[in-house]
Amino acid sequence: MVVKMRLARFGRTNAPFYNIVVAHARTARNSRPLEVIGTYDPIPKRDTYDESGKLHKDIKLDTTRAKYWIGVGAQPTDTVWRILSMVGILPPKHRPAVPAAKQTTPQANKA
Amino acid sequence: MPPRIRGSSCQPQLLLNYLEPAPSSLTPSLTIAPRHRPATSSAPLPCGRSFSTTPAPQVTRLRRRFNEWVEGSGEQFKEPRYGETNYISRTVNFSDFRPVSPDQPFPNNPNFRSERVLSEKAREMIWQAIMVKGMPLKAVSAQFHVDMRRVAAVVRMKEIEKKWQRENKPLALPYARAVMGMLPTADLSEGEKPFEPINDIHVHSYTMQQLFVPTSESREFTRADAAKAFGERILPPDAKMRIPELVQMERNIAAGMPPREATATFIREAAESEKAFADRQHSRAKATEERTLRVQTDRFEFRIEKINSEDVGPTGRARKAVGWRYGVPHMDRRRGEVKIPTRVE
Repeated sequence: MVVKMRLARFGRTNAPFYNIVVAHARTARNSRPLEVIGTYDPIPKRDTYDESGKLHKDIKLDTTRAKYWIGVGAQPTDTVWRILSMVGILPPKHRPAVPAAKQTTPQANKA
Repeated sequence: MPPRIRGSSCQPQLLLNYLEPAPSSLTPSLTIAPRHRPATSSAPLPCGRSFSTTPAPQVTRLRRRFNEWVEGSGEQFKEPRYGETNYISRTVNFSDFRPVSPDQPFPNNPNFRSERVLSEKAREMIWQAIMVKGMPLKAVSAQFHVDMRRVAAVVRMKEIEKKWQRENKPLALPYARAVMGMLPTADLSEGEKPFEPINDIHVHSYTMQQLFVPTSESREFTRADAAKAFGERILPPDAKMRIPELVQMERNIAAGMPPREATATFIREAAESEKAFADRQHSRAKATEERTLRVQTDRFEFRIEKINSEDVGPTGRARKAVGWRYGVPHMDRRRGEVKIPTRVE
């Protein structure tokens, strides 16, 4: 059976909170997973004494276990892929749009 | 919602007409006709009450007495007496044996007392001592006999107030003045009685039981041993004290140290302990920062903290584990857990 790395939604109405889990693909979303490797809080927050108004999101992740599960063939969902690509475990799936001028030399980018 | 009548809302007869059953489909012409009956449509009824046909209540004896009281002895409660309390208990006297204290707002409840609050002057004094003179919190707490937590809260609130003043934000000063004028206040001046006890310790429920512990006569049984006897994790009172340096100061004085020197030692020790506390916090924040990777995107900064997923333990239910826990009830469904925030970030 396929092992997926995906999010399990916890939290409350209008206040989501996700566990980043490793689970068999056909099990229910919130059932007990093989392993919880982290959390993702999608609600942007401010620092308490920060006046600039910048927002941040908190993620907790066990990178060692994430690398292990990727190594044995677990398939991350798009959202988890995005998180793992931030840490550098996976290459980013959706790259930001490249300006037209730079697209002329694709070979140079690959190298 | 019941149907609403436009215009005047005080015509019960109109409402009755409106609520009459709708005419049957056999006589559609009636539905187009105005709903008012010809008799009532001639002129709107003059009425002063809405929807009520009961007569207006006469002035009852209770109300008459209340009015007499308001104009008589109740007159003094219309305005606050600035500088002292103006509770109703000042006019009540059950008997000479049972006096009613002026700080008792409810005459029949002697357990409810309105405690003194720190006056504007006292709060400014505390802020000056901490932020201008740079004294340690513990020393200020001991000097003014104000709980350490209250000292911290005063400084925090004062800082906000001063920040708002710098930003020219309006302050609710008339409101503050009115409230402070109605409450008993403490100026923290010399010779005033202590504001509150500052070194109280929390009494753990485990230590409330009577215990018989056999021990040899030669053994020195200290308070630390007593705490151990009550439970493995019970702390002795010396470790639970908020300002243990005060005890050391008294010990020094009893050992013959001059009071001035003992006070200086106390302030130094208090400053040292606070510095150690700040250092611990700082190093903790630094350790968290080292574990955290910050990724900047267009809209948000993602803070990815490295954790160890093995913290869940063999049962998968360890308390320090990361993430929402499986197989345990929600925090808001659990009993005996404090759900209101207990600290200020």
